[in-house]
Amino acid sequence: MTETQIQATDVLDARGLLCPMPVVKTAKAVKALTPGQVLKLIATDRGSIADIPAWAGSTGNELLEWHEEGDTIVFYVRKGEET
Amino acid sequence: MGDQEKLVIMVTHGPEEPELATIPFAMAGAAVASDVDVVMGFQGDGCLLVKKGVAETVAAPEFAPLGGLLESILELGGQLLVCSPCVKSRGLTEDDLVEGAEIVAAARFVAEITSATNSLVY
Repeated sequence: MTETQIQATDVLDARGLLCPMPVVKTAKAVKALTPGQVLKLIATDRGSIADIPAWAGSTGNELLEWHEEGDTIVFYVRKGEET
Repeated sequence: MGDQEKLVIMVTHGPEEPELATIPFAMAGAAVASDVDVVMGFQGDGCLLVKKGVAETVAAPEFAPLGGLLESILELGGQLLVCSPCVKSRGLTEDDLVEGAEIVAAARFVAEITSATNSLVY
């Protein structure tokens, strides 16, 4: 269990969503942010552990941190300048 | 980031094979979410997946249901191109297809594929 001090602008609850919807919903949520703002994503799809870093890397967004909390996976994504 | 990337995904399996029908939509969903231009091409029984009301009936284990995937792909700018002879031979017209689906012929598919960064066939 990891405590984080990152302050999120918005929270996306993607619990129960299956591949590839966590990434799809994350992309939509991040588009609504301004550069520098942070999205907190809560997911249960284990594929997200590989998908979210890959998505962030290919879209110019930054995965600040991720950790597991029980059955959920929590990600913090900072919107990049070009998305 | 670089130049805009484009992925063409050809779909040839219909609702009777939910997993093979769903995987191309999952790939397309991930691609549009990654800011990749996506063109989905439907041939053979694949064209049945863009018949109105069909996507909502298809779900493969451990994948997102097809109806929501299709909706998200369209919302994020994905294009749906459907094979003209395949549609005709199944007694369908453009009115039978989901909003946004465009009936095209072989040369258009060739043009899309040759101008794409990559293409996938399912």
